[in-house]
Amino acid sequence: MSTPTLTDADLVERYAPLTVDKDTADFYRGWAERELRIRHCTECGHTWLPFRPICPRCWSFAVDHVVVQGDGTVHLMMLLHQGPPAPGVDYTTGPYPVATVEFADHPGVRLTATIVDARPEDLVVGRAVSLTWFERNGMPHPAFRPTEVTR
Amino acid sequence: MSTRNPLKDQIAIAGIGSTGFSRSSDVSGLELLVRASVEAIRDAGLTAADIDGVVVPGEPGGVNPGVLATALGLPRVTHFARPVPVAMFSMLDAVHAVHSGACDAALVAFPYLRLPWNSRSAANDPFRRHLAHGVQAVPESIAMAPAYAAWASRYLAEYGVDRDGFGLVAVNMRSNAARNPLAAITTPLTLDDYYAARMIREPLGMLDMDLPVDGADAFVVTRAVDAPDVGRPQVVVHAITTGLVTPNDEDQVPGLDRHSQHIVLDTLRAKSDFWIDDADVVCLYDGFTVITAGWIENLGWAPPGGTADFLREHWVAAEDRVLVGGRVQINPHGGSLSEGATRGSGHVREAVVQLRGEAEGRQTPDARTALVCTGGFFFNSQGLTLRRA
Repeated sequence: MSTPTLTDADLVERYAPLTVDKDTADFYRGWAERELRIRHCTECGHTWLPFRPICPRCWSFAVDHVVVQGDGTVHLMMLLHQGPPAPGVDYTTGPYPVATVEFADHPGVRLTATIVDARPEDLVVGRAVSLTWFERNGMPHPAFRPTEVTR
Repeated sequence: MSTRNPLKDQIAIAGIGSTGFSRSSDVSGLELLVRASVEAIRDAGLTAADIDGVVVPGEPGGVNPGVLATALGLPRVTHFARPVPVAMFSMLDAVHAVHSGACDAALVAFPYLRLPWNSRSAANDPFRRHLAHGVQAVPESIAMAPAYAAWASRYLAEYGVDRDGFGLVAVNMRSNAARNPLAAITTPLTLDDYYAARMIREPLGMLDMDLPVDGADAFVVTRAVDAPDVGRPQVVVHAITTGLVTPNDEDQVPGLDRHSQHIVLDTLRAKSDFWIDDADVVCLYDGFTVITAGWIENLGWAPPGGTADFLREHWVAAEDRVLVGGRVQINPHGGSLSEGATRGSGHVREAVVQLRGEAEGRQTPDARTALVCTGGFFFNSQGLTLRRA
């Protein structure tokens, strides 16, 4: 579902309470189009998250974004038994999984998101996962789901 | 890396004061702060007229240094600052200010309040309602405190260990707190209790997290040559540093083998004439148990993942705590886990108390050197070595 007509104000308002500002607007515009973007240096090829205006490796300001394919490995994994309120998150029905995933095509670049469609044994460091999307407040948000191995 | 250390042994922690810590204080944050401050200034043998530097970290519920200076009626202040929280940023600021000549006697005062987001009773206190901000905005983030649960998962998986190391850290702190009259919680704790505690951010539970308290610590920092002779050994700053790895975003930090503790320890070691094997007093931050494991391993006491084995090897069963080499306590005061969540000022205070020989029932005999490591893995890692002059 593409939402190409979003104004900057719409983007800021619809992704609140996330911090959408000059540095991160392109990142969240990607979310709105179900596209996971990471910062990319057009001069040296370095990639990184979160979005910042300068390449930390070569100091070029000629930065754009590349879209990650979305396969990766769980690097960090926590189960929130309590936590901040959010639409669709109910801690009373069981702990809410939050994973930091390192992308296979961009080693060292990681995204923190929830994991959906997972069995308890999938919620572990080292599990292969793939990018997916869910809606909150009518806007796409990234998530991961365990990569199907034998199922 | 700068290995210069022109302030070595030149600056004294000349005064200390503390209100002690509780989970039920009924006075304001300012009152806690001024009580600890007055005690520290008197302890140093100084008066209001002598204090020309004021440093108060930007703790939630804290006050600006100007408010503290006014409350105490300090007539002439030439250096004041409000560093970010965690102890050594403020200590470093004061030490540098005194060494540079910005002021002669700096008061460093640390306020701690239970807050509406970390204490149910605080949430019900109408006078703390104005502090009800700072809550993490969304679940899908490991920014700030949740980072330690996330990295604890990595620790357990990467090293293939169970939570025993974290649990022994917690038990050690509780056993030590029982010897400290300032401590907020002193009921005995077992490893079974640790495992039975409620999960908060799995794999970390209630007893992996420091204890929100009300209280305040204060210090007076002067040049060693200016510190009044009040009939006890002076404690001097041997070396002090902070450290910041890059990237230091909680989810992008390079790894358990490369984070800000490594920068701190490389630097502090290069600036110090003594190191862990020659430290009589060792205070390691324990805001979360996994942070202490990090310090233990990065200091070289244990190999990566080896904290549990190390603590077991040096465990004194009769006292239910660790004495490294049969002598060196880790956080004799009980740390943030049991004395109370002081963001490291308790660790600094305890080191001073031990080096003065004033720790009574928990005194390490003939303590001459101390190593204090505060903060965690990301953007608040810090180290301090102290000597009895």
